[in-house]
Amino acid sequence: MWLVRPAQSDDLDQILNIAGAQGARLSSTLPRQKEALAQKIEHSLASCAGRSSGDEPPRFLFVLEDTDTGVLAGTAGIDARAGNGQPFYNYRQDALIHASHKLGISRHVDVLYPSHFLTDHTLLCSYAIKPELRGSDASELLSRARMLFIAEHRKWFTHRIVVEIQGVQTSNGEVPFWDSLGRHFFNMDFETADQYSGMLSKTFIAELMPPNPVYVTLLSQAAQDALGQPHSLTISNFKLLQREGFQTGCYLDIFDAGPVLEARTDSLRTIATSHRKTLHGTHEVSGDLCLVAAGEGAGFRCTLTGIAESVEGQLKVPVKAWKVLGKSAGDSVRAASL
Amino acid sequence: MLVIRPVQEADLEDLFAMAQSAGKGLTSLPADRDLLRRKIEQARETFEQRCAPEAGLYLFALEDTEKKKAVGISGIQGRVGLDEVFYNYRLSVTVNASKELGVHVRTPTLHLSNDMTDTSEICSLLLSDDYRGGGNGLLLSRCRFMYLGEFRKYFSEKIFAEMRGVSDEDGYSPLWDALGRKFFDMEFSQADLLSGLGNKSFIAELMPKYPIYLPMLPESARSVVSQVHENTAPALTMLQAEGFNFNGLVDIFDGGPVIEAFVHNIRTVRESVNRHTMITQKPVNLDIPASERVMISNCSFRDFRLTTIPADCVGLDTVSLPAAVAEALQIDAGDSVRLAPLKDKGPLSMYKKREAEPRF
Repeated sequence: MWLVRPAQSDDLDQILNIAGAQGARLSSTLPRQKEALAQKIEHSLASCAGRSSGDEPPRFLFVLEDTDTGVLAGTAGIDARAGNGQPFYNYRQDALIHASHKLGISRHVDVLYPSHFLTDHTLLCSYAIKPELRGSDASELLSRARMLFIAEHRKWFTHRIVVEIQGVQTSNGEVPFWDSLGRHFFNMDFETADQYSGMLSKTFIAELMPPNPVYVTLLSQAAQDALGQPHSLTISNFKLLQREGFQTGCYLDIFDAGPVLEARTDSLRTIATSHRKTLHGTHEVSGDLCLVAAGEGAGFRCTLTGIAESVEGQLKVPVKAWKVLGKSAGDSVRAASL
Repeated sequence: MLVIRPVQEADLEDLFAMAQSAGKGLTSLPADRDLLRRKIEQARETFEQRCAPEAGLYLFALEDTEKKKAVGISGIQGRVGLDEVFYNYRLSVTVNASKELGVHVRTPTLHLSNDMTDTSEICSLLLSDDYRGGGNGLLLSRCRFMYLGEFRKYFSEKIFAEMRGVSDEDGYSPLWDALGRKFFDMEFSQADLLSGLGNKSFIAELMPKYPIYLPMLPESARSVVSQVHENTAPALTMLQAEGFNFNGLVDIFDGGPVIEAFVHNIRTVRESVNRHTMITQKPVNLDIPASERVMISNCSFRDFRLTTIPADCVGLDTVSLPAAVAEALQIDAGDSVRLAPLKDKGPLSMYKKREAEPRF
């Protein structure tokens, strides 16, 4: 069975494998360096135990595990406060009208403004899954298990939630937006900058990023075309998040101009429609496939199983799934349809 | 004889013909009869002191007195940016550095500025093709510094000139195409024409207000920022010899440089001296090379006159003039005149000044 649970210290090597197999973009939230990753897992465990301090807001890292083999197939994270106590950078795409009454001319001018507005919004991040599982039920489980975690621990998270989608990158690794803008100021290739943003404090972004607004019309055509466009590999996840209730707004990633999706936390489909039910057993594996989650903090588990629901609000879940969830009859669980 | 004098109403047709043959690129004097007439009127008001000296437009004509024809023009704008808004880009540097990463990047950046507001500008130089050479271009340009030196209090301490930037024969400007055009759907030649007709600040209001990072522009555009048009190179060299330097500002359309100098540092002003007039009956050969001539002007605001004479007319206290020259300058014996060399390292540098004489 597929299981999503908080990452443990001994998951380190497997997570490194997953991170290494991904495209460049992921490294900003899922470091490829052993020490940095170990720290991230530590921090996640501390956050699950409610031990994270004020200047280091909670960050959570989950893994997708095949319980039959113990092999990990993906990761997903939540940063309770985007920026983690530091500024969180985006570009806001906005417009100015340049008009002259005298000359009878009015022009719509697109401008990218550096913005910190999304700082301290809850951020979904670190989403990585083995390529063969993209678009599968397991990938949906991995992404949406986070919403169930938020529903169970609502007070840890804010009212607004955002997620950055990877932007356009060509097959030979070039990022048109970066090449047209960031490269001039950071004097490094996209991958290096992206890794730094995962490893180092974000101060370097403040130091190197152009402080003034940028006129869209001065970007290369390829960069203009890439504004707000998701990477082709992220389309299935992008659509999943849109079904979940996320919408594209005016915010873009500062490195690759990928879209930033925004939503009200309480309006997310999984959070709004999931309910707590009492766990009951069944030996048949039947009924609709659902996400079922249980447990608090480090004990959080979420799996995908067929369930049957009784009129009294009892949830009949196959016993095999009980074990995966670590729960037994009479315990409270949260379910959401796939 | 070639004499510089304030422009007159009767010069209109001569000016129009000159402006027509000059073609594109002379923003401040387009071949537009009404506009030229208005400019001449404004200049007349200025010289006749019917407007504040700061608001004045000082246009000087080079007249061939035998033909009674204006063959050149040059001007000083008393102040810019008083009625309309005067825009330039300031070419400056933005440094982004990170110690943590060992990165230190310098980015040339254009900032929109109004820094030249309330400054005097030299402008509108145009010389008829038939009169090129023989120091006439120098005369037309430097006569303004003689006037500035004499009437310093009416002008700002600093004087500037906008030099024409790079554009090709068809009127395409690489900077305009990469920048202005993206915000203002118009050919450079048309924008240039419009600005000559007094619409420059309207166009500027449609231009980008936030700084422009030069690395985002194509190489063709970056390379012409602060460069002059090849036809303007001699004018630039002349003004540099006069003490003008690039001040970091460039034209918002074609990227041509703005050069400036403090009046007291301008060579013609520094090297000019005053002498008293003596009228001589001896014949003086006025037909000599430019390098042996000096500029001589009267001290009249309204009826300014300037011409050239051989350097050897200049004595320690006096200058000896043939009657015809004195008449052209509208001066009598005993009047004070101002003198300065026409060419670099001209003969005036050989003058002994009284203070420099050995004491006995």
